[in-house]
Amino acid sequence: MPAGERLSGSPRTGRHKVTMTSSLRRHSLTATYLSLLVAIPLLALCTHALAGGPSQLWRSVTQPEGLRAIGLTLGCAALATLINVVMGLCIAWVLTRDNFTGKALLNSVIDLPFALPTVVAGVTFMTLYGPMSPLHVSLAGTWMGIVIALLFVTLPFCVRTIQPVLETMTWTAEEASLSLGARSSYTFFKITLPVLLPSVVTGAGLAFARAVGEFGSVVFISGNRPFHTEVASSYIFMLTQSQNFDAAASVSLILMLIALVTMTLMSFISRRIVGGVRR
Amino acid sequence: MKSRHTLRLLVLAYIALLIGAPLFLVFQRAFADGWSAFVAAITTPETLSSIRLTVVVAFLVTPLNLVFGIAVSHAIVRHPSRFTKLMNSIIDVPLAISPIVIGLMLELAYAPNGWFGSQLAAVGWQVMFSWPGIALASAVVSLPLVVREIVPILTELGTSQEATAETLGASPWQVFRTITLPNIGSAALYGGTLTFARVIGEYGAVLIVSGNVALHTQTLTLNIAENFENYMPQQGFAGAALLAIFSIVVMIALAGIRRRERNFHGH
Repeated sequence: MPAGERLSGSPRTGRHKVTMTSSLRRHSLTATYLSLLVAIPLLALCTHALAGGPSQLWRSVTQPEGLRAIGLTLGCAALATLINVVMGLCIAWVLTRDNFTGKALLNSVIDLPFALPTVVAGVTFMTLYGPMSPLHVSLAGTWMGIVIALLFVTLPFCVRTIQPVLETMTWTAEEASLSLGARSSYTFFKITLPVLLPSVVTGAGLAFARAVGEFGSVVFISGNRPFHTEVASSYIFMLTQSQNFDAAASVSLILMLIALVTMTLMSFISRRIVGGVRR
Repeated sequence: MKSRHTLRLLVLAYIALLIGAPLFLVFQRAFADGWSAFVAAITTPETLSSIRLTVVVAFLVTPLNLVFGIAVSHAIVRHPSRFTKLMNSIIDVPLAISPIVIGLMLELAYAPNGWFGSQLAAVGWQVMFSWPGIALASAVVSLPLVVREIVPILTELGTSQEATAETLGASPWQVFRTITLPNIGSAALYGGTLTFARVIGEYGAVLIVSGNVALHTQTLTLNIAENFENYMPQQGFAGAALLAIFSIVVMIALAGIRRRERNFHGH
C-alpha cells in the first residue's frame, strides 16, 4: 500500500482517498467478525423492540412493573454513583497525598471489583448482608442491598478516573491559597475540585452506566420481588424467560438509550468544564 | 493534621466493609470445614464439568478476540476512514450495555426461533443453548478489552518507524511482524489477560444463552449460582473462592505486565 494513504491524517482529511467501500473491502474479515458479534444482534434487538411500532414500544416500556423496575434502577444507580463520587475523591486523595504502611495494598485492592466475577460478589453480599448476616444487618430484599452491591462494582471507576489527575497536580496553588489564610475546605472547593471536576464527571458517567445494567452482583441480594426490588436487568431477564421477546427488547432499548444519553451528557459536561478552566 | 487521619480512617473503613469483608467471608466460608471439604466441593462431577467448560471456552475465545482485536485496532489507527470510525463505535457497545441485554440480542439473532435460527439448524449448527452460544456471548462481552488497550499504544507509536521499514522494502506483513507487533506486545498481553478473566467470570450474558444444563452447558459461574439457589452454600462458596483466587492471580499478573511495560519503554 502507498505510504501516503497510511499517513493521511484524520478521517475528514483523508476522505477523498479512502472511501467507505474500499475501506469495507480491505477490512472485510474484521467487519464480518464485528457484524456477527455485535451489529447483527444489535439490529435484531432494535427490530424486535420496534416490531409493533412506537405505540407498542411505549406500551411495553410503560407497563407498571417495568416502570417501577426502571425507576428503582435509576434511583439506586444515581445514589450509588453519588456516594462513590464522594468516596472516590476521598480514596484518590488518600492514595496520592497521604502516606502510611499498607497504602500499596489499599491501592491494589481498589481494582478487585473489576477482577472479581459479579456472581462471586453477588453471593458474598447475600451472605454478608443477608438474613444469616455475621454483621447482624439484614439488607436482603431491600433497595439498600441493591445500592451496596452497586457501590462495590462501581468503586474502581470513581477512583481510577480521579487518581491520575490528582497525581499530576502540584501542591503550589493549594499551598499559596492556604498560606494566604484560606481555610482548607475553601481551598479544596475553590482550587482542587475545579481541576478534578472533569475526571469526576467522567468517572460518574462510567459508574452510572455500569450500575444501570448491572445484574450478577445485584440479583441475589435484591430478591427480585416485582414492584419492590426488581431491577431493570432482572425484569428483562424475567421477560426473556417468559418468551416475551418484544417487550424484553423494548425495555433493553430504553435502558441502552438511558446509558447512551448519560455518557454523552457526561462527556459534554466534562468538556464544558475543561473549556471553562482553560478560559 | 487531625483531619488527614480522620480521612484515612474513613477510607480504610469503607474499603474494609465494601471489599475486605466480602473477600474475607468467601475464603472463611469456603475453608470453614477444612481443605479436604473444599477439594471435595469443587470436584463434584457438576462443578468439575463446569470448570472444564469454562476453561475451554476461555482458551477458545481469548486467542480469537486477541487476533481480531489487534486487526481492528490496526484498522482503526492506521487506516482511518468513516468505516473504521463506525467500527470504533461498534466495538464499545458491549461496554455500555447490560450483559443481560447482550444475551438477549444474541438469542434474538441466533436462537432456533431467531433471525438465523432456521438457517443454522439447516446446516446442523445449534449455536444457542450449547457451547458455541456460550463462546459467542463471552466473545461479545470481552470484545472491547483488547482494542481499548492497543489503540492508545498504536496511536502513540506513530508511523515513522513503519514508514522507514516500508521505504527500505519491507512487505506489509514484515513491517507488522518486526515493527508493530513488538511494540504492542505488552498491551496485547494485558488486553488478552483481561479478556481471559472476563470470559471466566461472565455470568449474565451466559445465563441467557447457555441453557444452563448441569454437566452439559453450565459454566462455573452458573454452577455457583445454582448451588446457592439449591441451598448448598458451602458448595457454592468453594467455587466462589476458586474464582476469587483466580481474580487475585489475574490482578497480580496485570500488575506484573504493567511493570514490565514501564521498564521496556524506559522510565
